[in-house]
Amino acid sequence: MAAELVSAVDVGMTVEQIKASQMGMKALGAGIAVGLTGIGTGVAEMGIGSAAVGAVAENKDMFGLALLFTVIPETIVIFGLVVGLLLLFL
Amino acid sequence: MLKPKQMSRLLIAASRDQMAPIITELYRHNLFHIEEYVDAGAEGYEGFKIGSPLPGASEKSSDLIKIRAITNAIAVQADEVDAKKICPGLELRAKIERELPSLEQEVEDLTVRRSKLDTRVKEYEQKILELIPFTNVPVDMDLYHGYKRFTTFAGNISREVTISAPHEMYFSKGKEKNFIVVIAPTDKRSEVERTLLEAGFQSVAIPVESGSPHGRIDYYSGLITTLNGEIAEINKTLDAVRLKHREFLVACEEFLRAEVEQTEAPLRFATTKQTFVAEGWVPSDRVDAISDALVKVTGGKIFVTALPIDFEHDNVPVEYNNPSFAKPTQVLIDVFSRPRYSEIDPTLMVSIVFPIFFGLILGDVGYGLILLAMAFGLRKFLKGDEGRQLLDVLRNASISSIIFGLLYSEFLGFAIPGLKPVMFSRHLMAEAAEGEAVASHGPMIPELMVMSIWIGILHITLGRILGMINHARQDHGDHRTKAVMANFGWLAVMWGILIAIWSIAAIPLMPNLTGLPSVVSLVNIGGVIGAVLVIVGVLCIARDSMLEVVELPSIISHVLSYARIVAVGLSSVAIAMVVNFIAIGMIIEPQLENFTIFSILIILAGLVIFLLGHALNVALGILGGGLHSIRLHYVEFFTKFYKGGGVKYIPFGMKRRFTED
Repeated sequence: MAAELVSAVDVGMTVEQIKASQMGMKALGAGIAVGLTGIGTGVAEMGIGSAAVGAVAENKDMFGLALLFTVIPETIVIFGLVVGLLLLFL
Repeated sequence: MLKPKQMSRLLIAASRDQMAPIITELYRHNLFHIEEYVDAGAEGYEGFKIGSPLPGASEKSSDLIKIRAITNAIAVQADEVDAKKICPGLELRAKIERELPSLEQEVEDLTVRRSKLDTRVKEYEQKILELIPFTNVPVDMDLYHGYKRFTTFAGNISREVTISAPHEMYFSKGKEKNFIVVIAPTDKRSEVERTLLEAGFQSVAIPVESGSPHGRIDYYSGLITTLNGEIAEINKTLDAVRLKHREFLVACEEFLRAEVEQTEAPLRFATTKQTFVAEGWVPSDRVDAISDALVKVTGGKIFVTALPIDFEHDNVPVEYNNPSFAKPTQVLIDVFSRPRYSEIDPTLMVSIVFPIFFGLILGDVGYGLILLAMAFGLRKFLKGDEGRQLLDVLRNASISSIIFGLLYSEFLGFAIPGLKPVMFSRHLMAEAAEGEAVASHGPMIPELMVMSIWIGILHITLGRILGMINHARQDHGDHRTKAVMANFGWLAVMWGILIAIWSIAAIPLMPNLTGLPSVVSLVNIGGVIGAVLVIVGVLCIARDSMLEVVELPSIISHVLSYARIVAVGLSSVAIAMVVNFIAIGMIIEPQLENFTIFSILIILAGLVIFLLGHALNVALGILGGGLHSIRLHYVEFFTKFYKGGGVKYIPFGMKRRFTED
């Protein structure tokens, strides 16, 4: 806090402004966490999804397994969401 | 419950002349799962051969193929016909002999004519495609042909060219490619060709036609219209045939299928010259009934006995044995894999937990009501068994969604007035009521998160305990102890990590162990207990399989994965609230304040946005609520104990819908 106050003096910002900008940084961080993990999940599901659709087209019994494989990378974006929510609300 | 139906292995032996009545009787009971006889010299089956079909099999099969050809041609499906008309078999057989040949001829004639017309339409369409480039050249089609001393080039080219030899040229610029026609003396042919090729020339076949290209295209389009008219006429006739005969056709198909299955049953039996032996599976409680019926129908000239089950080698077919409210969920288990005979059947647990997860994710009274209406409304369109079961699953899930909607106090993203959330609130944009400093029902994200983690911990613990039971039941000897201990090890590591975390940090809604007497600096007794549990657990896992130790991080990822219950749920709440804000807060309310004639239009647009937004959210809600809940079962829960891969119990027989015996 002391360091923040010093910097506040330096750039001429009030404590309220600093708090607000910290909130903004948190929001940015949450957005980046969700966005990047979303991209990661997308990239991972791209290959699995196309292979899964191919497998299901050949053999419909594969559907359950194919679905399962396709959703495995979703865990990544869930982690991102968890991090984002923790950042915003904790 | 929790176990498949108990099965008995039945052996039937009789002389060959009893085969037909026995097969009919077995078919009628629809209980006997035939274990197919494979001619591989099994012990006790020396000298046996695979049987041959009963007389009349080939005629019946060919009739069945005819019927199927017709139903395919006119697209009749048994599911779309209401099961109302029950025909007796004899009457149907006479009708088949009388009507089938003429009906087959009629449908075949029509379909052959239709496919011929289709081919001609395709031909003409191709001709039009070939003519289209030439429409840009103001020359009749017959001027392209019939020269002795000139050669015609036509094709696509990348740029305009200048040709040194004497020539006539038409160039038309297109969007993607340019079209060029060049007529040059034949003795300069190679020179012209070289120049053109340098500019990326690709030759196009010149259609043999006469008259202007536009005229020819109009001519062919006219022909296509006439042909399409004829095709539509034929389709109309086929539709009429379909409406008139579809009850007859589906009844025939069912009748003949039953006949063919019966006449071909001996192919699955072991036979000698005089006798035959059939082995199969029957639910244990029905053994007496079926044995008595067989003895009765053969006048006692039969030997029926129940054989002992050999769990090592026998592939016992599996039939679910669940209370009626859990039956629809079987379809979700079958999508994954049917349980094995000696395994715990998780259907009952899934049927209870799946709707709860769904409700936790999509807890909204409004959406719940919409889904409930869908579950009943779609019943008219889905007539197959699986479709019905899925709709029943949706019905249970939507009821749970309504209940959780009341607990969360949500209706289409709005807070229900006067109803405070009983469970942790998910109202993201809750405003403080009058006289309140802070909104009393703002979002309680940390609590919701911890709740979902608790659900994960308990669900996974249950899965591991079931894993211990399964291994204790299925395995033998040394491996059994090791496998059970490995499952215990996974539990110990998970709880060890939890206790260690609790001893370091205080988390809401979780035990606070930070106050325990400390041992070394930050580590207190809780931390030590946790560490010991983790080490014991890892040792137990490593004793069963060293490779499994690599999977240890999955404990954390699987538990955290349950956070999706909150995350996906919150995203649906957020979408609903945003839709409400855009439609009502931004569009409709300002208009109501300054009402003019134009406001009506804008308010209507606001309503459209409201409806579209919520329709989208309902679709996402089904996907999110359904897929994520079932995924938590398949990936996080089932991997702890469930293997599946059981053989489906398919009794020899049929549920008749259109015919009777």
